[in-house]
Amino acid sequence: MKKSQKPSVNRRNFFKSAAGAAALAGATPAAKAQQTNAQQTQAQNGRNTGATPAPTPEQLARDAGNVRPPATARAVTRPGSDLMVEAFRNLGLAYVAAQAGSTFEGIQESVINCPPTPNKMPEFITALHEESAVAMAHGYAKAEGKPMLALLHGTIGLQHASMAIYNAYYDRAPIVMIAGNDRGDIPSHTALDMAGMVRSFTKWDAQPKTLDEALAAIHRAYNEAVTPPQAPTLIVMDSELQKMNAPGFKLPPYKPPVFPTIDPSKAKEIAKALVDAQNPRIAVGRLRTPQGSMLSVQLAELVGASTSTTAANGPMSFPQRHPLQGPGADTNYDYVLGLEARGLQASIIGPDLPSIVAQRDPQGIGFGGLENANANGGRGRVPANSAPPTTADAEASLPMIIDEVKRLMTADKGRLVADRTAKHAAANQESHIKAVKLAVENMRGGWNGSPISTARVYAELWPLIMNEDWCLSSPTAFSGGHNVRIWDHNKPYSCLGGQGAGGMGYGAPASVGAALAAKDHGRIVVNIQCDGDLNYAPGVLWTAAHHKLPLLNIMHNNRAWHQEFMYVTFMAGVRGRGTDRAWIGSTLRDPYIDYTKMAAGYGMAGEGPVSDPTLLAAALKRGVDSVKRNEPYMIDVVTQPR
Amino acid sequence: MLGLLFSSASLHAQQGRGYTGPLPNNPPPTSPVTGDAAKGKSLFFNYSCYACHGYNGETGARIFVGNWGHLSTEQEFITFLRGRATIAPEPKSTGMPNFAENTMSDKQAKDIYAYIRSFKSNAPPLKDIPTLNAIVDAASKPSK
Repeated sequence: MKKSQKPSVNRRNFFKSAAGAAALAGATPAAKAQQTNAQQTQAQNGRNTGATPAPTPEQLARDAGNVRPPATARAVTRPGSDLMVEAFRNLGLAYVAAQAGSTFEGIQESVINCPPTPNKMPEFITALHEESAVAMAHGYAKAEGKPMLALLHGTIGLQHASMAIYNAYYDRAPIVMIAGNDRGDIPSHTALDMAGMVRSFTKWDAQPKTLDEALAAIHRAYNEAVTPPQAPTLIVMDSELQKMNAPGFKLPPYKPPVFPTIDPSKAKEIAKALVDAQNPRIAVGRLRTPQGSMLSVQLAELVGASTSTTAANGPMSFPQRHPLQGPGADTNYDYVLGLEARGLQASIIGPDLPSIVAQRDPQGIGFGGLENANANGGRGRVPANSAPPTTADAEASLPMIIDEVKRLMTADKGRLVADRTAKHAAANQESHIKAVKLAVENMRGGWNGSPISTARVYAELWPLIMNEDWCLSSPTAFSGGHNVRIWDHNKPYSCLGGQGAGGMGYGAPASVGAALAAKDHGRIVVNIQCDGDLNYAPGVLWTAAHHKLPLLNIMHNNRAWHQEFMYVTFMAGVRGRGTDRAWIGSTLRDPYIDYTKMAAGYGMAGEGPVSDPTLLAAALKRGVDSVKRNEPYMIDVVTQPR
Repeated sequence: MLGLLFSSASLHAQQGRGYTGPLPNNPPPTSPVTGDAAKGKSLFFNYSCYACHGYNGETGARIFVGNWGHLSTEQEFITFLRGRATIAPEPKSTGMPNFAENTMSDKQAKDIYAYIRSFKSNAPPLKDIPTLNAIVDAASKPSK
């Protein structure tokens, strides 16, 4: 990490004088001659007399319209921020989200005006809160498997964004952030070590002192963000670097990141075990990108392994309804490989957040106790008898294993694989149908109740989207998680999962980010939106409307922060003070909030409140039709508490 | 209310995964009811009962329609309400609170009991819910 040094001259005065000198230095000979003549004439006519000088011939000619205005030359012909935008483009950073701020106007101007115009790469996405900007990038990263940019305004923007950064850090979401820094402006908006405020929950930061360093930092920030453990990175970018003239600068060569892989001998060992196994299984967790999901499918199909998946709870895993996904025909597995998950005989798990805590948290703040995080790197309970993980990126390691499996595969083994695959497929299909039947049987409970059951919301929506390309962008735990049981999560982005650190205010902005990822693919995004969560920064609805994003918002409007409502109810009861005041501070009543009107205020169409269950399906249909036209939509559904 | 009786269903619902077993279908109790169901309705809301049991007793973290655990009689219900006083408030819980007599009288408890006893299963047969049948049909076909 590099830190800026205090400038040795007053930068504002420096730029003023530099601009004047540059203007003269860059002037054409004709302009110089004009200026010299005017100065001489003024000196002759007005010297120490105090009288108004007579007009010069040039002034007379100009008044008569007989001359052209003097040629001018701009002090800045190629701002440093144009080079930064070139770097963004080369890295494939498609979007930059920001709440307007005067410490990054150099970059903003370049994003919107750097040729060719109108500039769409990256496209500027207008946020109404820095937390929303980063949460958008969080949702985008999980849907697309790559970062987008967030611009933050000095110390104040960074602090506004900090909750979203914290969520993204815990969720291992790659985001590149740039915080503008203008040390000649408002003192409270700058700091000697601005990144220090978020250092213990970002992966890497820098404060470059020169444009060369700044451009290199952009490359490094991207690489650090996308390599495991994936996480947000931050550059504190001084405004002088954004605005300086840099006609002779070139982008430094970009070196793509190196992902840690298992060594070739380990790849051979795993491949041989998979090929020789009678009943192999692959446990697939969350891989880095859609490519990882595809590679896991390829490996499973090559060896006819049954698989498990996390696709119903988060992105980038194995397709849930793939014929090989499920317990399979025989649950006596003789070799279990874990990919970003624990396996019984082998586990490949990338470096996780605890591996960077010592470097990033020297003060020992210890957010979330990450330094003591469990051995599974935040991936849940470690299965009994599981193999110690090999620390490597599973996605980057898969091609080696696949190549080796192909080399070892024989015709005889191929026939065994085909036979095993067919048996697994039949068993998994049977198992799935049985599970769905059980789920829908349970969903009958409260089907006709009002307020509307959360199960009915998920059930009525599923037939409307099952033949579309869809993404469920919101966390679902507070609305019953009924998607897990009846929806098919077959794409790397089908379900984007939870908030990361459990910070509220995530659902709506992350969904906008997911919709950014979706809009160029003809995909629709469904956000089952908790009411308490939306009220943190509802202005993000305007962002969805402004940018015409395919986002369907369905309110889980139970008019409470319901988990807390239940906790307080329990507490009041066991303390013997009565539960009749437990609603205070944890419910949203008197008055109820009208989310359709809220959305309308931000320019988003919608309807509701819907509390009659017989009206729900038609409302959802109108919503799906709307977002298919890239017109975001809000349906305020008054729901049962859970 | 009536939470701890249905532990497996409750735990799953709290974790956001729902209860996946068949709906409970036990017949409702037939013991005498002496409370006022109309008064019980407002008490059911004011004492936050709906928070865990839904507005109809059929949804949420603690389903009791068709289950009826400690609801066999008024007295059993009241005993259950009072029986949680010794529960320590740690760790945090969405379990059944205690309802001490000084915060909910026997009369109020009986009114709530009367209201709960008026609940009937609102669940239509599966054959009458086209949406759910469509979901089962789709599950039977190869997925996209």
